[in-house]
Amino acid sequence: MSEPRNVKNLKDRINRIEDILASVAAGDMDARIETEIEDDLSGIEAAIDLLIDDLTDELRQREKMQKELETKLKEIQEQQRTIVQQQEDLLELSSPVSKVWDNILILPVIGTLDSQRTQIMMENLLQKIVDTGCTISILDITGVPTVDTQVANHLLKTVTSARLLGAECIISGISPAIAQTIVHLGIDLSTIRTKATLQDAMIYAMKQNKRSDEMKVLSRNALSDEKED
Amino acid sequence: MLELAPDRNFELLGEYAIETEYDIVMARQTVRQFAKKAGMGIVDQTRITTAVSELFRNMYNYAGGGKVLIERGDVESHDALIITCIDHGPGIENLELAMSDGYTSGMGMGYGLPGTKRLVDRFEIQSKINEGTTVRIMKWK
Repeated sequence: MSEPRNVKNLKDRINRIEDILASVAAGDMDARIETEIEDDLSGIEAAIDLLIDDLTDELRQREKMQKELETKLKEIQEQQRTIVQQQEDLLELSSPVSKVWDNILILPVIGTLDSQRTQIMMENLLQKIVDTGCTISILDITGVPTVDTQVANHLLKTVTSARLLGAECIISGISPAIAQTIVHLGIDLSTIRTKATLQDAMIYAMKQNKRSDEMKVLSRNALSDEKED
Repeated sequence: MLELAPDRNFELLGEYAIETEYDIVMARQTVRQFAKKAGMGIVDQTRITTAVSELFRNMYNYAGGGKVLIERGDVESHDALIITCIDHGPGIENLELAMSDGYTSGMGMGYGLPGTKRLVDRFEIQSKINEGTTVRIMKWK
């Protein structure tokens, strides 16, 4: 057995306990009393060592949990950013305007029409009208579950703006339930050309196309007749 | 808070806050679900959903948001869905004017409140300047 490191008299031992406790309090978790003398005081010293052990464990666990929480928080913040990004992407994607036939554009609207979305939708449509020179556009609202006064107002504004650019706007896909609701609300959509289904709207648009083609032929013939005269 | 006629024993189905445009969509989808569960047909579902959409939008646009209570209960021996919208906004100065077709105080079409009234079976409104507005609508099953 080695020579005990600990001091012999009681006062020194109590001083050592105080020192150890002070260093633990200061954050040194490796400090232990480690007495090797067997007497009444050594029990207390051993108990204090055990307490320091427990405390160390608790602290380590807390640190670990804190780190885990921080990692999770980072993950959540990352996800949040992704969601916001995707929402913005979705806004762009959710109002695709496609040219489906000569002179005919289709804008299928799916989901909720809030003011931000309608704004983007309207901009997309008007730009596409200018870019393609199409004079007929079909706004299909089959995928819009609720048409309240605000949505109706947005639709009216879109149709009016398109008309200012020289394009006719047809709204299709109004369900029987929504039709009744619009009438009860008291909204007047009679200034807008509406069709029950996308198919009806398409047929109407093709007919309009044919008519304007015939008109072109007629006017060309008239012009050439004039020349002959 | 404004008090409407004392409640018969309604069963509270849900309570929601309207603070963003997204809340409007969520809350009205919830209303549609409850209407469906209550056994309403597609036309009545659409009507009540559109009606609450108007009210939620009013709260959002004019009062900066508010609270919604969805209840179900027996009203004059009708199985009814009851929706109460409570806000602490500026209140409505002239209720009679606000309830008339074509009048709008803001950017709307002026069919919100009178249109909503036509879509439901019972419509109650109370408003006090600078205190807020409470609207309760009921739809029979």
